Amino acid sequence: MTMRLWFPASIVILWGGLALVSPLLPLNPHAIDLANILTPPGATTWLGYDDLGRSIADRLATGAQTSFIVALAVVFLGVTLGGLLGATSGYLSGWVDHIFVRIVDILLAFPGLLLAIALAAALGPGIENVIVALSLTGWVGYARLARAQVLSLKQADHVVAARAIGTSTWRILTRHLLPLLTAPLIVEASFGIAGAIIAEAGLSFLGLGVQPPEASWGSMIRDGTRYMLVAPHLVIIPGMTLMLVVLAANLLGDWLRDWLDIKDQVGKR
Amino acid sequence: MIPQFLISSVRKSPRFIIIIHWPATLLILALGLVFGACSSQPDPNTIRMGVAQAPTNLDPRYATDATSARINRLLYSRLVDFEQDATPVPSLATWVQQSPTHYVFTLRDHVPEFHNGQGVTSQDIKATYESILSPHNASPHRGVLHIIDRMETPSDTEISFYLKRTDPFFPSYLVIGILPANLIANRHPFSDHPIGNGPFRFLDRPDETRVRLVRQTDGQLVEFLRIPDPTVRVLKLLAGEIQLLQNDLPPELVAYLANQPTLHLQQSRGANFAYLGFNHQDPLTGNILVRQAIAHAINREDIIRYVFQNRARQAQALFPPDHWAGPVQLTGYPYDPDRARTLLAEAGFGISHRPTLIYKTSTDPFRLRLATIIQDQLSRVGIDVVIQSHDWGTFYGDIKTGRFQMYSLAWVGVKTPDIFRYAFHSQSIPPTGANRGRFASPIADHLIEQAEVSTNRTEQRTLYHDLQVHFLETLPYIPLWFEDHICFSSTEITGYRLESDGNFDGLLQVQRNTSTTHVASIRSPAI
Amino acid sequence: MTAFLMTRLSSTLIGILGVLCLVFLLIHLIPGDPVEVMLGESALQADKEALRHSLGLNLPLHQQWWDYMRSLLRLDLGHSLFSGRPILDLLVERIPATLYLSLVSLTIAITLALPLGLLAATHKHQPWDLGAMGFALLGMSIPNFWLGPILILVGSLWLGWFPVSGQEGWNAVLLPALTLGTAMAAILARMVRSSLLETLGEDFLRTAQAKGLSPTRILLVHALPNSLLPILTLLGLQLGGLLGGAVITETVFAWPGLGLLMIEAIQQRDYPVVQAAVLCISLTYILVNLLTDVVYAWLDPRIQFKRP
Repeated sequence: MTMRLWFPASIVILWGGLALVSPLLPLNPHAIDLANILTPPGATTWLGYDDLGRSIADRLATGAQTSFIVALAVVFLGVTLGGLLGATSGYLSGWVDHIFVRIVDILLAFPGLLLAIALAAALGPGIENVIVALSLTGWVGYARLARAQVLSLKQADHVVAARAIGTSTWRILTRHLLPLLTAPLIVEASFGIAGAIIAEAGLSFLGLGVQPPEASWGSMIRDGTRYMLVAPHLVIIPGMTLMLVVLAANLLGDWLRDWLDIKDQVGKR
Repeated sequence: MIPQFLISSVRKSPRFIIIIHWPATLLILALGLVFGACSSQPDPNTIRMGVAQAPTNLDPRYATDATSARINRLLYSRLVDFEQDATPVPSLATWVQQSPTHYVFTLRDHVPEFHNGQGVTSQDIKATYESILSPHNASPHRGVLHIIDRMETPSDTEISFYLKRTDPFFPSYLVIGILPANLIANRHPFSDHPIGNGPFRFLDRPDETRVRLVRQTDGQLVEFLRIPDPTVRVLKLLAGEIQLLQNDLPPELVAYLANQPTLHLQQSRGANFAYLGFNHQDPLTGNILVRQAIAHAINREDIIRYVFQNRARQAQALFPPDHWAGPVQLTGYPYDPDRARTLLAEAGFGISHRPTLIYKTSTDPFRLRLATIIQDQLSRVGIDVVIQSHDWGTFYGDIKTGRFQMYSLAWVGVKTPDIFRYAFHSQSIPPTGANRGRFASPIADHLIEQAEVSTNRTEQRTLYHDLQVHFLETLPYIPLWFEDHICFSSTEITGYRLESDGNFDGLLQVQRNTSTTHVASIRSPAI
Repeated sequence: MTAFLMTRLSSTLIGILGVLCLVFLLIHLIPGDPVEVMLGESALQADKEALRHSLGLNLPLHQQWWDYMRSLLRLDLGHSLFSGRPILDLLVERIPATLYLSLVSLTIAITLALPLGLLAATHKHQPWDLGAMGFALLGMSIPNFWLGPILILVGSLWLGWFPVSGQEGWNAVLLPALTLGTAMAAILARMVRSSLLETLGEDFLRTAQAKGLSPTRILLVHALPNSLLPILTLLGLQLGGLLGGAVITETVFAWPGLGLLMIEAIQQRDYPVVQAAVLCISLTYILVNLLTDVVYAWLDPRIQFKRP
């Protein structure tokens, strides 16, 4: 069963590590070398070169950085903002909660990536706007989860006891409720990372994400589709990378969920 | 929408039965839609041509983009056409020059009728040119035809053009399609419903991506399909969904297609002039030192060798050397990044003060790729370039109205030196002409005017040579290259000939081989 | 039931109102002057003013909102800035293609997911289960903008079975539908499995087993229908992903639906069309969800005691 953890964990660590060290590496993701146009992967050419003679390995590494920054920022903003708002709303209940639920419902009324695409289109391209668009649409899931958890935890003995002895709302939220929320939020976040990676690549694929010459796996796939006939490696390499990382994040989420569930049961006994 | 039997079955049986039928319902719905939505099976007799851009205007009075011009050539006829070597020859009418400023055109016998059944008369010709000349209509061709003082129609087959001044090229300006006079008067929307007397009749535009024409001689259906993505264009050609593909292909795909046994390749030296255009009223691009620096910074030799795979030749002037007005042995601006940096320093720029240029281009991936290469080469000498790519309509609209700092485009199908007045004379600023960068040079204006009144070919050639040398010094444009013409046709059709200027006239002869069925034998590339 | 319907209906109405608000505000999110963004920064002042007036952007915000709602009620969505055509016509032209693609994708997703989920649930923790769930996980992780080109490469090019893009031929829909349906099938298969496993543990099935019914009969007649309720809800929710994913898939395959219309409009900076497309897709989604809930409530009488 260790395979279930080590395979995805090592890929995710590789991805994060690459993103973190890539600014320190001597990468030339924008260096155009016309003589190398569409060179296929090989022993001396690494992963080959793209339609402008840029190194695919270098662009893959900077693309990892792009996706890492976006995924981390989106998930962090989503978990903290969404978690806090959802928990507060669930705890306070009453009209605050009512309005909150309405807002969440409205945001959930937009299907899939649609709102993010529309937001990114209105805000204009660029990595910051991708983060803004994905966070604005992404926090809702965490908020809903946190709210539902708080609603059920509110009646838990230790919370009722804390309230009885007159502990402040803020203290109850931060000391008694949030710690219990972390586990489900972490599981949700690991799936959220997978979602954010795909969403960023999707926006870049549509030309709404990072702008050329900046590298993103999504824009690499889009550019690569034009040379599918003569240089399929341009599509296959970034696509496989993207898929592996997303798969790893999903597997990790699955594993985390199972693992945390088991721990829960152990705790109850 | 839900079939009745499903509803009744729900009433009788336990409630969850409907869920079992969910997939079934969907399947029925989907199948219904399959047969409903896809009744339009591709007609095996239609000849289809893939084009990168849909024509923007099928009214020849207003059309300026290449696809429109090429399709309009099929829909409408014009008074004058060109021989292979760019000399004007009679088309609808023959002409006589009565005096330096008076031309008489006589319609030939058996001129085809307009597609609505009306005969073509000199009135139609007069009405067409009058509507172009009317300032109210803001035709982009007005600038060149402004030379016409008045027209007279002594008979139904004769028309006299009186000019404001002499112009030896005048007949070669009369290449605009003729429209029926009564429809012009009624403000008929020609762009939506073209009516001309060309060899093809407009059938319909089923959606924004397709234009269908019918060949008048035999009813052959020809369809132009807008397929913006070159790979998809190529795949559709390989899959037999289209039979013809001309130009706008990345060189890698040309090389790939050339190896396909089911395709026939035609190739010829092109004369379509690719250039970088500038806004001359902008403080940055209006500076000649900056333009010269850009010219020295671009490595055209490498771009042609590696990107075009030698399917292009360097340009130094608007006309290639084999055109009669094309200058020979111009040196131009060799690739010299050091010289470029020196020029920039002279213009007051340096490492701490890098100029930033906005470079507009279309979203065509190949154009974007060239733009990115130019961006890279410019950044190496110290010019930051921001590429703004817009869809073709927006991009071309921006260029036509002068909303740009720098852009790249090509002059397509230009045959006569009247282009110099149209594109560079200080009086040809849009909407009168196509001096989109608002270039103003008294020397150029003078040379253009002198050449126009000259009646001597040798003298003209010298004047145009001087003019193009002057352009190379002042750089209203930076000349880039002439791309070769490439045409692929599938073995399903025969008789398509690639024209030297890349127009679609080959469609007049093309035939579909009904006997051969397309076999999808496509070599898979090795991964 | 009626009470449930009323609350559900009222929350739908609020949802619709909220979507209208957000879509209305979309144009105001454009940084700087939206008119300048639409026409290009160096457009003529007169053109800009004309557009500002025709879009009503010179009016106070509440007035604009009011005008927007009133024109929506008259089904007047304005005109495309690019082609000048009424936006309603553009939508009506594109809706059938998206609907068709969605339905075929849904069919593909269900036909893939049901057997996979069944297989996995009945062979829990056996190779069949691992294989099916591995496939499902893979399907969830393949982005449709990558699967699309790969399917074109294999299906159209190497095998030559399908048209490359567009709507020609009866089988043209299969590749985009497969692209769109795979991710959905993956999620659905996981749901079928877990839902079925839960049902299989229930008492009435043990009774059925005790009665000596055949395992196939138990599975197909008793277990499956009873575990389909949560799957139905998921199906409704999944349609959202389907409609959102259709935007990318339609772009990959040049499928002339609403999604492609939206992307083309974005590229042309034709914001009124973007607004209308977003509105149209979202409203469809809301209505489908409402329908799902109603059907759910109708099938499961217990639902009225729970708040959705």
